[in-house]
Amino acid sequence: MTQDVATDRQEFSFDELMADDPFEKSLVTNDIQCHGGYIDGEYVSPRGALRRPAIRNWCERLSVADHPLITIPEKYVPPNYPNYDQAKYLLQEGVVEPVTRALTIIAIVEGFGARIREVSVPNFDTEVEESVEGTALAHLASGLFEAHARDEAGHRDQGGHKQMWEAARDAGLDNPEIPDDVLLRLMSGGSPATRKRLYPELSERMESMLLMMTNVLIIETFAEDTFNWAKKLLGDPEVSADPEQAAHIVDCIARDEVPHVDYLTVALSELRARTLIGVDGKTTLSGADVIDGVFRRQLRGMATVRPQQSRERSQADIHQAVSDKRRASSVARQFEELDSGWTFPHRDDEELDVLLKSA
Amino acid sequence: MNAEANSSVLTFVPASLAERAYRSTQISWTGLRVWLHYQTLIWWDKLRRRDPDARDLHAVHQKNADLIFHTAVSLRGMLVKMCQVIGTRSDIFPREYVSVLSQCQDRLPPREFESIRRVVEEDLGKPIGSVFAEFETTPVAAASLAQVHRAQLITGEKVAVKVQYPDIEHIMQTDMTASRRIAALYARFSDNPIDFLPLLDELQTHLRMELDFRREVESADRVRDFFSRDQDVRVPRVFEEFSTRRIITMEFVTGAKPNDLDELHAAGIDTQGFMLRLMRIFNRMILAHGFFHADPHPGNIFVTADERGKPVFTLLDFGLSKQLPRGFGMGLFELMFSMMTFNESAMLRAFRELGFDTRKGDDDSLLYIARRMISRSDTGSFQGEFTEDMTDEMFDAVRESPIVTVPTDFVLVARAFSLLSGIGHAIGQRGNALDAMS
Repeated sequence: MTQDVATDRQEFSFDELMADDPFEKSLVTNDIQCHGGYIDGEYVSPRGALRRPAIRNWCERLSVADHPLITIPEKYVPPNYPNYDQAKYLLQEGVVEPVTRALTIIAIVEGFGARIREVSVPNFDTEVEESVEGTALAHLASGLFEAHARDEAGHRDQGGHKQMWEAARDAGLDNPEIPDDVLLRLMSGGSPATRKRLYPELSERMESMLLMMTNVLIIETFAEDTFNWAKKLLGDPEVSADPEQAAHIVDCIARDEVPHVDYLTVALSELRARTLIGVDGKTTLSGADVIDGVFRRQLRGMATVRPQQSRERSQADIHQAVSDKRRASSVARQFEELDSGWTFPHRDDEELDVLLKSA
Repeated sequence: MNAEANSSVLTFVPASLAERAYRSTQISWTGLRVWLHYQTLIWWDKLRRRDPDARDLHAVHQKNADLIFHTAVSLRGMLVKMCQVIGTRSDIFPREYVSVLSQCQDRLPPREFESIRRVVEEDLGKPIGSVFAEFETTPVAAASLAQVHRAQLITGEKVAVKVQYPDIEHIMQTDMTASRRIAALYARFSDNPIDFLPLLDELQTHLRMELDFRREVESADRVRDFFSRDQDVRVPRVFEEFSTRRIITMEFVTGAKPNDLDELHAAGIDTQGFMLRLMRIFNRMILAHGFFHADPHPGNIFVTADERGKPVFTLLDFGLSKQLPRGFGMGLFELMFSMMTFNESAMLRAFRELGFDTRKGDDDSLLYIARRMISRSDTGSFQGEFTEDMTDEMFDAVRESPIVTVPTDFVLVARAFSLLSGIGHAIGQRGNALDAMS
């Protein structure tokens, strides 16, 4: 286990937040140099030498002040579709396309995580009543967003999660042919809806940042089940071409995502414990009201309608792919019998409200 | 019928031998003058023992581009089309040519109505009055190959009828023959010639396809199918029973120009997220479907408002539509993505996948091109928008470096993205392809 640098500092420079641990060996997969590396034979995530202790210190500070951390209850995390048994069955039947498509889309979506570096951070000095000195909030624009972006999309000649997911896919499925419709699927969400302001008293920059951070936090939390699914499926010697390598890469990605969930949770919780100032410079809003409101709204959409629609699209794709097979109806029936039968929470479920846990 | 005479209308006379000889002479004379403008400078530099390659050719490029432009506008026909094609090939021709010749707009004096009526009646096999209740004799637009008339079908529908000029195929033959002769002479006498003959072959193939309007109708049908469930894209309905190889009869549409904010607001169009919507449409065609409308200049896009005031984009003129090779969309996406993350090895893989190649197979030239392009970005990094400045810079680098193969598909896609970026800038928004995907 890597020993974290012992520090009680709350302030870190950009370069410090980008600093790697002293790796003994780097991670190279599919002939691509990736981020992170190995110490004593164990994978260690990139940019963690000081980012890890920094996040821990900011979290402890919240705990000392008795401010809770926001959390997403596990029961709202939708399971990956198709589930492990269904996906394994498809691979055994030679229906590789749906799994390839799913893994390729995950890789691209992870890559787009880099856009977090483009989020404009508001001026906390004028838009938050209390000081943000020595917090994760104060480090969003000066390293945390950039480190997150680099982890997801890679940086210069170092591959990130996009390339790592592709490598896991290619190792596990033996360089499968990428379906032509991947980009079409990715863009089939219709035209962007015009967003109504939730808190017009606040600056647009503040609201956009909160929405983006909440969105990413929910996605990252929901991804946990996808990691378990991919590790199990790509690590299954009965269907994987290189189970050890494929599962290991997915495991590396899952480890890298931990600091993302942590810093977003801490930063949003810090803001929740503060008072926000409106654009007029006079109106004040409780951070708890705003964060809980934004979170509730995002979680309601992302835990209910969206995964259900996505599941329906995937199901249709899978049946389409199966229909080309011999014994199509029998394969389709068997596939459906393996469904685990998840019930999506209803949008009006009051329990979908933000939950808190102690920091 | 509206049969008012138009004083600026050109009377159609079938291309006679004399006319063809005149066209050939004019084209050859222009070619000779262009060549002499360059050659005189080379001779002069050699006489003064200066290096001709060190000379700044901006002024002479500009002069020659203007000369070709004026010849094309006066002779019209295929030359205008040829100039438009040159205007899309920033990878081959100097900026001055691309800038001047891309202005060779499809707005020319119309042909007189009788010749148009004859084409309509010949192709439909019946008198014009038995198909159309009204047919305006003054066209709403006249271009290099055809002109468009407003009309009303007997069944009441308002339509736009695009009618090809008679004898355009003979004119094409004459112009092509003359151009080939000039290209051969140029190759014979120039020290370091651009090989124009493959370009002319490509142009000839393209023009032959463009002269068959049934192909344009097929392209419009394909794009209409792509967006059949999309409320914010429209492709005008084509009346196939009144469309032939030389005629397209389609639903008459109007709308605001996408690059005119005042016009958009006057039409009650909500412009929030306007470019994001437009870019998504082209992303879907280019990246996902692999078949796209390759000429999205503002004149080919009309905008109307839906019931909520959101923009509805009507795409017009599918003459320049392009089928992209399999995997091109993913290759292009990977190129944009690797440029965004400065990942040079991924950039190289994407360049190769798209069909870029260098004379010595070296990687440095390809990276040099990408770096030059990124250097012209406002932010110092590639964010997903192919601005005009960036594509100009990229193609300057392409011409200067030992690139052998730049895929035509890439040139057309980069141009289309650059035109869209221009529309975005005109209304204060970004035409960012990656933004529209994420």
